[in-house]
Amino acid sequence: MSIYLPIAELSVNIFLLLSLGGVVGFLSGMFGLGGGFLMTPLLIFIGIPTNVAVATSANQIVASSISGTLGHWRQGLVDFKMGGVLLIGAFFGSILGVWIFSKLVAIGQIDTVISILYFTLLTGIGLSMLIESSQVIRDRIRRKSVKRKIHYHNWAHRLPFKVRFYKSKLYISVIPPIIIGFVIGILSATMGIGGAFILIPAMIYFLGMPTSKVIGTSLFQIIFITAIVTILHATTTFALDAVLAFFLILSSVIGAQVGVLAANKLRGEEIRALLAIIVLGVATKIALDLLVEPNEIFNLSVIRLIF
Amino acid sequence: MMRQLFILFYLLIGMMTPSISIALVIGSDQEEIYIDANFSGEELLVFGAFYSDPSQSRDSKSDILIEVVGPLEDVALRKKDSYFGFWLNSKSVTFRDVPGFYYLSSTSELTNEFLANNQIGLLEKKKSEMIDWSSLTTDWGSVINEKEKKEFYNALIRTKQNDSLYKQVSDEIEIIDGNLFRSYIDIPNTVPVGEYNVNLYLIIDNEVSQEYSYNFMVARVGIEEAIYSFSKNYPFFYGLISLVIAIIIGWSGAEIFKRFRKV
Repeated sequence: MSIYLPIAELSVNIFLLLSLGGVVGFLSGMFGLGGGFLMTPLLIFIGIPTNVAVATSANQIVASSISGTLGHWRQGLVDFKMGGVLLIGAFFGSILGVWIFSKLVAIGQIDTVISILYFTLLTGIGLSMLIESSQVIRDRIRRKSVKRKIHYHNWAHRLPFKVRFYKSKLYISVIPPIIIGFVIGILSATMGIGGAFILIPAMIYFLGMPTSKVIGTSLFQIIFITAIVTILHATTTFALDAVLAFFLILSSVIGAQVGVLAANKLRGEEIRALLAIIVLGVATKIALDLLVEPNEIFNLSVIRLIF
Repeated sequence: MMRQLFILFYLLIGMMTPSISIALVIGSDQEEIYIDANFSGEELLVFGAFYSDPSQSRDSKSDILIEVVGPLEDVALRKKDSYFGFWLNSKSVTFRDVPGFYYLSSTSELTNEFLANNQIGLLEKKKSEMIDWSSLTTDWGSVINEKEKKEFYNALIRTKQNDSLYKQVSDEIEIIDGNLFRSYIDIPNTVPVGEYNVNLYLIIDNEVSQEYSYNFMVARVGIEEAIYSFSKNYPFFYGLISLVIAIIIGWSGAEIFKRFRKV
């Protein structure tokens, strides 16, 4: 059974869509990630045009981040003030991101740029997960526990415009969070991701936020950034496919909840190592598409008149 | 339904008086192809009958030719080149007013010479203009030499063929009883919307003897049309609604499963 997607202008198998959303949702629920970094490339692999994949993926992340944030919010683990400051940067970053995106579409380089960005991102994520999970597994075997510093003092504490963030017990300049938000905004708009993978380490290492507040706060700000990106894509690139989004959201929300249940019952490290391998597999596929001489070196795109 | 239509048509032809010496009559099972939520391509049936002049010599050769031309569109064709081992898009050519769908079917192989003489065939009209590489219909960009232009032109046709949007065949027309014919034309799910022209030619001894044309529409209907036009006319509200749906599903998903988990 297939469904016709009105914006992508092609029909796809409905079960393929639902299982794609379900699997990405499951992984995101299990690891507490948005899943956009897998959703966008997988959508492109099944033949969805790049611009539709990016815009629609952003919309899907809104749903999965809301599911995730609620739990953290109830436990008081969201620093709304920090989230708000990050969002100021993210707002301007996503406007610039969508502008860059539409320029790249116009000159026909969007596919290449997206491929390179994704290859870099996925290789980074995959390798760091693989290293981290193998270290945990090794430490477990040696029965060692790893101690971490509560927070770091660095250059972020010496800049002007200092503000007190009570929830995170921080007194730092607003400049670093705004810059971090700005960068995440650009990446979110061009890649259709929430950016948690970059945001979470940046909040811990650059801002020195306590680890317990980081996930809730990043999820909270991802809701808004992906919401802004969704609206910007709908109004400027016209690439948001609401029908595609609906099926992905439905299946990913269910998949995410199943993933959360599974995460409580299974040991994380082995599965994380497995996810790392999946991520590296996707990265390799993207790299091969860039490096191996294609069968058809010409590609055709219809110039759509926007009226 | 198609079969019944065909039989009815067959009977009608039988009742026709044989006073017309050469005739081409055609029918089609639909005037519109609707793209709805379940659309996954369609088969278009074109059928008809032809009578050749009895006074003609018996060994004169008659052929049927069916041409379907989709709505015109502008396309950008990009060529990938290797830069430091990476295959990246480089040169780009814009072709204006090329058919979004093209199908040419005949009862026997046609020579290029015949097609060129009668201005039938894919971009045949355009090709004659392109001999002087007119810049009105094509924006060649940085492509300057004739050899490369030819390469781009061939690639245009090839890439469209790979998407099943261009096709030229000589074995898809079924001939029944010597003067009845029918053909099923594959309309893939990626076809552009708009007006399509169907041209039928009766060819006797390599000369076009009879010509007949009609139109049909490919149109979005129902929810597909509603969503498409809403997204174009009210993009902000379209994005907002899609967002609200995401929020509702995300929120309720978490709530439902929270209860489920407590049990």
